[in-house]
Amino acid sequence: MNMKLSKTIRGLVTTTLAASMVLSMAGCAGKTDGGDTTAPAATEKTEEAKEETAETKTSEPVTVDIFQFKVEIAEELQKAIDLYTSKNPNVTINLTTVGGGDDYGAALKAKFQSGQEPTIYNVGGPQDVKDWMEKLEDLGDQPWVGTAGGTLGAVTVDGKPYGMPLAVEGYGVVYNKAIFEAAGVDPSTVKDIASMDAAFAAIDAKIKSGELKEKFPLLEAVAELPAKETWVTGLHSSNIFINKEFPTGVDAFNAKEIKFENNADFKAYLDLMVKYSPNAASPQKLNAVDYATQVGQGLAIERVAAIQQGNWVFGDVNNVDPAVAENLAFLPVGGDSIPLGVPMYWAVNKGKADAEKQAAKDFLNWLYTSDEGKDIVVNKFFFIPPFTGFDNYPAKDALGRDIMRYQAEGKTTSWVFMGYPTAWGMDILGVNIQKYLAGEMTWDKVISESQAKWAEARK
Amino acid sequence: MQKGAKMWFWIFVGPILFAFTVVLVIPTLMGIAYSFTSWNGIASKIEYVGFENYIKVFKDIEFFTTFWFTAKFAVVSIISINLVGFLLALLVTSGLKGSNFLRGAFFIPNLIGGLVLGFIWQFIFTKGFDAIGAKLGIEFLRGWLSTEATGFWGLVILMTWQMAGYMMVIYISGIQNIPDSVLEAAAIDGATNWQVLKDITIPLVAPAFTVGIFLTLSNSFKLYDQNLSLTGGGPGNSTQMVAMNIYNTAFKFNTFGLAQSKAVIFLVVLAAVALTQMYFSKKREVEM
Repeated sequence: MNMKLSKTIRGLVTTTLAASMVLSMAGCAGKTDGGDTTAPAATEKTEEAKEETAETKTSEPVTVDIFQFKVEIAEELQKAIDLYTSKNPNVTINLTTVGGGDDYGAALKAKFQSGQEPTIYNVGGPQDVKDWMEKLEDLGDQPWVGTAGGTLGAVTVDGKPYGMPLAVEGYGVVYNKAIFEAAGVDPSTVKDIASMDAAFAAIDAKIKSGELKEKFPLLEAVAELPAKETWVTGLHSSNIFINKEFPTGVDAFNAKEIKFENNADFKAYLDLMVKYSPNAASPQKLNAVDYATQVGQGLAIERVAAIQQGNWVFGDVNNVDPAVAENLAFLPVGGDSIPLGVPMYWAVNKGKADAEKQAAKDFLNWLYTSDEGKDIVVNKFFFIPPFTGFDNYPAKDALGRDIMRYQAEGKTTSWVFMGYPTAWGMDILGVNIQKYLAGEMTWDKVISESQAKWAEARK
Repeated sequence: MQKGAKMWFWIFVGPILFAFTVVLVIPTLMGIAYSFTSWNGIASKIEYVGFENYIKVFKDIEFFTTFWFTAKFAVVSIISINLVGFLLALLVTSGLKGSNFLRGAFFIPNLIGGLVLGFIWQFIFTKGFDAIGAKLGIEFLRGWLSTEATGFWGLVILMTWQMAGYMMVIYISGIQNIPDSVLEAAAIDGATNWQVLKDITIPLVAPAFTVGIFLTLSNSFKLYDQNLSLTGGGPGNSTQMVAMNIYNTAFKFNTFGLAQSKAVIFLVVLAAVALTQMYFSKKREVEM
């Protein structure tokens, strides 16, 4: 046997392997895909073929690719698409959904970089509109614009709206009325952090004494804080306090720095949530609590009585226990009101062929202005409509109705987190809050560091 | 004759060389070019900024924290993966009953995608461990992945479970290549099992160790999907690895140029580490 030769070959093989392994790393960094979660639904060939037939009539076959973030509606949206395409056989619509725990913004960028640009996608607010300006179609001529009220402010540049609101959403502390009732706590007494503390303490005492054990065998604590979901803490919780400093998202977007003068209230609120959570004794464990633990394996099974979440949890709770879902309502947060806003907007990709853009706009119009579409939006998506003209379609779910009650009473504040610097809320503030809970960072450091990063991003 | 050989050389090497150039060399060069720009990943306008990104990287403490975490993880997982893989290889080559079945069983985790594995283990760590801990009153098993230490060991366990089977296959082939004559001679001379292992098996399997350590080294450093699905870099970015830091810099913070310069630095460091390892490992290989 020629050992010398085999040694040389082995050396060659390992060296080549080495080179390719190392280089592939750099290659990956250059063109990272959005992860396996973004199954490419687009069929590129049909897209290219279409570019040429751009000027032809709408009866020509058209393919529209939707890349959207709302996991909760993915199934129903697919059904709506099937309904629409059965009536418009020339239109093919591919739906891809990335959201929930995943980062939609990052996935969207990866999607665009991969060359498979979607026709319809979601943008969140002023920062997104600025980032994506080159890819945003002016939607000013669309029929729904006149009925949108004040919801277009965050996506309007020079008087032109570049997005169509998905829905109005609200969040607060969602609570289980049955548990509050059984504990003899009147939810209407909750008006600020101190009164919330008192109400929670009363329930907590009854849980610890075992009085509620018989009726709610799984109940182990009053609240649950999913610190793993940095959007809950870094975006939603912080918004309750930051919207006192910046009344609108555009104000936040234009702010060079953040003062955060009421951060002590924010701390008090977080500490309250920690104090009444199942992990009060070791808060760092909250950093592993995620949305599913908080909602599906928390509120829905009556393991906890109140969580900070929005009306979007209704569907998830409803899937587990419809009786619990019907018993949900909102406690106000940080005062006597709840923050309401538009979570995301539909946007149409300006770079696509005209026929494709028209088909995309037609579909969105159908979804929000036809009777069939309105029915789906309200009764299947459980959306609170962002437009007027939905009088015949009142919100079907308990949380939607409760939001309408707050709206009617005028007890609403704004969503401003879309105006935070890119990734600041989740990846700076939310992450710092995790460090605070783990005892690795003092609250003052959380605030000062977050302030510094804000200023740095706005330089 | 000479001409024919040259043609065959290009027929065989050409396609691979083409693929290698298109998917590795060109993106790498483009990446290096982007690292000198302030591109945000979206805009068509790209501005040249010189070495500004590299200066920023060296001021970024978090990048070095993730680098340090990744290095720690790499060292621990290289040892655990290769050790477990080698022990499994010894086990299934020892003439045990059902060793063919065991080979298959140990290799299977490697066939499952990293993201799926990450989510499965996340469930085991956060729910399974927690339930057992609650039942038996073992506080140690509760709240896994909620601290840096448990996140770290969670990653090590996950990667060892996944990669050890693959390393096992490499070591099996090494062990089976040891000539029976040598082992027989050792047996006649009255060598104990330990002496055979220490003085015959390990030295003769050294080439397999070179490959095994190299593969685990590069895989551990470049780890992304398991990191993403198991801990997501949390809590508080404490279990974030370099690949994830680069990805976030590019796609979450919209600083593509900065991310690219981090990637270039990462490439240089990883190449240096890997080539050093290859050099020293190859020196230890014995010629038969």
